[in-house]
Amino acid sequence: MIGRRVSRFSALSTYVAALYAFLYLPLAVMFVFSFNDARRNVVWKGFTLSWYGRLFHDAELIGALGTSLRLALTAAAIASVLGLLASYAMARHPAFKGRQTYNALFSVPLMMPEVVMGVSLLAFFVRVRIPLDFGSLACAHALIALPYTISSIRARLLSLRDSRLEDAAMDLGATEWQAFRKITLPLAWPAIFSGALLAFTVSFEDFVTTFFIAGIGIVTMPIKVYSMMKFGVTPEINALACCLLALTMLLLAGNRLLSRDPAAR
Amino acid sequence: MTQTAEAAAENLPARRESRAEKLLSWLIRGASPAASHLLLLPAAAWLLVFLLLPVACLLALSLATRGPYGTVVWSFTWANFGRALNPMYLPVLLRTAAYAGSATGLCLALGFPLAYYLSFYAGKRRETLLVMLMIPFWTSCLVAIYSWMIILGRHGLLNDLLGRLGLIQAPLPLLNNGFSVVLGLVYFYIPFMVLPLYGSLEKIPRAYLEAAYDLGASPAEAFLKVTLPLSLPGVFAGCLLTFVPCMGDFLTAEFLGGPRNFLIGNLIQNQFLMSQDWPFGAALTALLVLSLISGLYFYQRLEARQIEP
Repeated sequence: MIGRRVSRFSALSTYVAALYAFLYLPLAVMFVFSFNDARRNVVWKGFTLSWYGRLFHDAELIGALGTSLRLALTAAAIASVLGLLASYAMARHPAFKGRQTYNALFSVPLMMPEVVMGVSLLAFFVRVRIPLDFGSLACAHALIALPYTISSIRARLLSLRDSRLEDAAMDLGATEWQAFRKITLPLAWPAIFSGALLAFTVSFEDFVTTFFIAGIGIVTMPIKVYSMMKFGVTPEINALACCLLALTMLLLAGNRLLSRDPAAR
Repeated sequence: MTQTAEAAAENLPARRESRAEKLLSWLIRGASPAASHLLLLPAAAWLLVFLLLPVACLLALSLATRGPYGTVVWSFTWANFGRALNPMYLPVLLRTAAYAGSATGLCLALGFPLAYYLSFYAGKRRETLLVMLMIPFWTSCLVAIYSWMIILGRHGLLNDLLGRLGLIQAPLPLLNNGFSVVLGLVYFYIPFMVLPLYGSLEKIPRAYLEAAYDLGASPAEAFLKVTLPLSLPGVFAGCLLTFVPCMGDFLTAEFLGGPRNFLIGNLIQNQFLMSQDWPFGAALTALLVLSLISGLYFYQRLEARQIEP
C-alpha cells in the first residue's frame, strides 16, 4: 500500500515537473536567445549584449515605455480610489439591499472577453464623440483594473473586521472616523498598495482593449511589441521581453510582500 | 475681546471639522443603506459609463447599416445577423467554439493532476509552485506568442532538434494550423483552470477521505466517489474561466494560426479596424456575447443540479 502510494506520488511529481517545463519553455527560449549573436533566431551563434544595448537607444521604445508607465499609474490610482470606497461598503457595512447586484456587477469586467470590451468602447467613444486620447484610454484601463483592486482590498477589510480592532478602539473612546483613520486604514494600506500594483500590472500589460481604442499617436509598450512582431522579426524583442518580464516579476514580488496577511505572519 | 475672538477662531474650524467628521462617521458606519450606495456610487458609475453603456451602444450598432466610406447609418435591420449566420461566416463561429472547447478540455485534462498534486502532495513547495504558475500568466502574452513562433516554426527549434536527432526527415508543420492555436490557448489559459480546481480541492475536508478509507474504499474508489464529485464546482468554474476568454481570443490565432485558422475575434477585429464595417462587426460581437451568455446560463443550470441535487 505504502509502496504504491510512493510510486503514484513520484509519477505525479514527474508529470508536474513536465507541465512546468512546458509553461517555462517559451520564457527560457526568450531568455537564451536574447543573448544570441544572430539575426535569425534558431541557431546559437555566440553571446552578445548588443540587443539590450539597442533597446536603450531606441527612442520610440523609450517613448512607449513612458506612455505605458504614465497610463498604468493613472489607471491604478483611479482603480484604487474607486476600489477602496466600493470594497469598504461591501466588506464593512451591514448587509443592505442590492449588495449581490453590486457584487455581480463588479465581476463583469473579468468575465467579459476583451475583444468585446475593446469594440464596445470604440463604438461608444466614437458615437458620443469622446476623443480617443490618453484620458479615455486611462479610464478604460481603470475599468479593467477595478476588479483586481476591489478583490484585494475587500479581502483585507474582511479579515480586519473579524479582528474587531476597531471595536476596541471605539470602546476606548475613539470616534468612528478616528478608528478608521488610526486603525483600519494603516492596517489596510498594504492591501490597498498591493491592489494598486496588480492594477498597474494589468494596465501595463493590456493589449487587446488598448489595441482597439488607442488613438493615433498613443503607443503603449504592448502596442509597440505588437508592431515589432508584425513588421519584421528581430531578436530585439527577446531582449525587450526579458526586461518586461523582470519588471513584472518585481511588481509581483512587491505584491506578494504587501498582500501577506499580518495575522498569518 | 481679543480672547473671545481667539476662542471663536479656535472654535470655528474645530466645529466645522467635527461636522465633516460626523459625515465621515456616517459613511463609515453605513447604518443607512444610503451611505453604502454613496460609497459604491463612483465605482458603479464607472462601470455604467465605461462598460454597460458601451455594450448597449454596440448592440444598437449591430442593428444599423453600413453607409458609404465606412460610415454608420442608424436604421433598424436584422440583416447583419443574417449575414453573420450565412454559410460564409458560420464556420468561423463553429471553428472558434471547437478550438475553445478542445483547449478547455485539454486544460482540464492537463490541469486536474496539477491541481490535485498542489492540494494533496505539494507540501512545502505549494507556495512556490502556485507563484510559478502565475508568472507566465502575468507575462505579456505577445511575448510568449513570439517565443512559440520561434519554437514551432518550420525552421524553428523543435523541428531543428527533431531533425538533428534524426527522428524526422522533413520539417513537421507545427505552426499555422489548428494544433498551434489550441496549444497557444492551452498555454495561456491553463492557470485559469488550475486555480479554481485547486481551490475546490482545498475545500474538501480531509476527514471525508479518511472516512472513506476506514470504510474500506480503495484509493481509486475514494477518488471517484469523494474527491471527484466534491471538486465539480471547481471543474465548472475552471471550464467557464477558460472557455470564455478562449472564445474571445484573437492574438493567438493571428500569430500562431496563419491565414486559414482565424477565429471570430479576428473577424471582429477585421470589421472594426480594416473593412470599416462596424455594424457587421457589432453583430458578430453580439453573437459572441449571446453564445457566451447562453453558455453561462447552461453552466449555472448544470452547476445548480450538481451541487444541490
